[in-house]
Amino acid sequence: MANVLEIHDLHASADGEEVLSGVSLDIPDGEVHALLGPNGSGKTSLIMTIMGYPAYKITSGQIIFAGHDITAMGLTERARLGLGISHQRPPTVAGVKLRQVLDYALGENPELTGEFEQLVKQAKMQEFLDRDVNAGLSGGEIKRSEILQLLITRPRLVMLDEPDSGVDIEALDVVGAMLNTLFARDPDHPVKRRSGLVITHTGHILQYVDTDKAHILMNGKIGCSGNSRLVFQTVCNSGYEECVRCILRQEEEA
Amino acid sequence: MPIANRSANQSTRPEGQSALAIDPIDTQSLQEVGIFVNGNHRSGTFLLRDNEAVCATTGQEELEMLPIAEALARYRWLREKYWWRAVTPDTDDVTARIAADQEPRGLFVRVKQGARVSLPCQAAMYVASNDTIQIAHNVMIIEDDAELTMITGCATRHGLTAGRHWAVTESYIGRNAVLTSTMVHSWGKDVIVRPRAGTVVEAGGRYISNYVSLHPGASIESNPKTWLNGVGASASYVSVILGSPGSITDIGGEITLNADDTSAEISQRGVSTGGKIYQRGFLVGNARGRAHVNCAGMLLDSSKEGLITSTPGLKAVSPDATLSHEASIGRIAADQVAYLQARGLTEEDAISMIIRGFLSANIVGLGPELDARIDEIAALASAAAHT
Repeated sequence: MANVLEIHDLHASADGEEVLSGVSLDIPDGEVHALLGPNGSGKTSLIMTIMGYPAYKITSGQIIFAGHDITAMGLTERARLGLGISHQRPPTVAGVKLRQVLDYALGENPELTGEFEQLVKQAKMQEFLDRDVNAGLSGGEIKRSEILQLLITRPRLVMLDEPDSGVDIEALDVVGAMLNTLFARDPDHPVKRRSGLVITHTGHILQYVDTDKAHILMNGKIGCSGNSRLVFQTVCNSGYEECVRCILRQEEEA
Repeated sequence: MPIANRSANQSTRPEGQSALAIDPIDTQSLQEVGIFVNGNHRSGTFLLRDNEAVCATTGQEELEMLPIAEALARYRWLREKYWWRAVTPDTDDVTARIAADQEPRGLFVRVKQGARVSLPCQAAMYVASNDTIQIAHNVMIIEDDAELTMITGCATRHGLTAGRHWAVTESYIGRNAVLTSTMVHSWGKDVIVRPRAGTVVEAGGRYISNYVSLHPGASIESNPKTWLNGVGASASYVSVILGSPGSITDIGGEITLNADDTSAEISQRGVSTGGKIYQRGFLVGNARGRAHVNCAGMLLDSSKEGLITSTPGLKAVSPDATLSHEASIGRIAADQVAYLQARGLTEEDAISMIIRGFLSANIVGLGPELDARIDEIAALASAAAHT
């Protein structure tokens, strides 16, 4: 299966500090990968850099998305090419209503107009459509709003920054159901689905999203990759300290 | 009531008379400030071109629109009860100059008692010749229980740069009457604009004043005043201003609560792309009532030539007056622009959407006319910010 995303030795900085120190990562088309790592390891920086946020400057390396070299491409171009992101702490956009953003997206995907009401209802966001984007939302409401926007914009690859953080158990069911829709199998191709990269700390979300592979990011680079369950169990049992030791061993052997 | 199909030299004229030639360039200039030359969707039309009233028509008996000189000649009570009562001639040089005018020019509007005019009426103050000093003295009377929506478009002909527009507008809103006034300005770059306005609102009356400045000319100074004289009267001012490079826009607003249970709100929104914007708003509480003034500015200028000052002010004389104010000035947050871009918006569209939101934030019921103008300002400001 061709890779939808290929990252080659990516270095990036934010506020003058290096945040990515040689990340290499491939995601085959239709696969969903989990991204784990301790706080400050660079997980959010990685997806913000892939998305093209101007605050994250690529200093070297290459990003190939859907066959296009997007390394020097702007944020809008990347979004229009099919990259999407769900933020952990999105900004409040005063005066701009959620409905306006969704309407804009619907303009790009008019075939979704019929499903709009149903998607909004599933997200339980009816009462938030005419409020300012992200203003006064709880943790769960933010996740629902973010994923709803992805369901409407329909990116080819979605990057989710801790979709389970700050979400209570009841709300997690709603978020989980939305993620099921987001990663639903293509009705025309039973084994195809949307590609994804999901950051998670707790692993709760892995109950709702089948991931094909997991990666551990340590100090701005991928420390190891493997089966999602095994990787997550290892982290749960031994913490990231074991990962540090493992990486050190690999470096010594090399 | 279409402006075309009207005799050029008659100040009021029934339908079906000879055509008034409106140059297409004028039609376009007027349309940009909300004036439809064909008169569609309007209950009446008045056009002051330079200093000539070239059209004053209405489609219904309850709504009168006349050149002010004709109204003064027709109604003695106009001079006795209203003329120079809400604005005084000795206010400043502008009012003194207008008071000295031997042949008053301007608009008289009257909505008769109990009449609710469903369609808006429109008035254009149009400067079509370079270096014209346009002088107007307007009087609007909304009698008890009557209701009117007024759209006033003030503009210069495309390509015309220099001129002056000096105006006095006196408005009288009767008991339980409503006047919704939306004024749109679009001036040539060297035009100097000095409107003076006073409004008196009686018990239960409501005055809603929306002001939009698309192109401010060289300089605008305006500080309209409203007196809420009857129990339960209310007023709101909304100003939305684009301060383009080289312009000076000084927009104020004073509302005085003279009777119990009155309420007022002043909302000033300014976006500077290089112009100087002075926002003011002043509330006086002489009786039991509530009022709030909010001045907000967004500075998009990177040339350091633009500025915004916001000066909300309060004066309470009655201990039962509850008055409040707030002011803020900021820039567009880069993270908000990026957030919208991540949803596929272009940078320009994202900036425009944010400016649009800023201009209309917490202002309810703008209506389609004002919505369209605010969209226009947002697009202009966004384009300026993007370059």
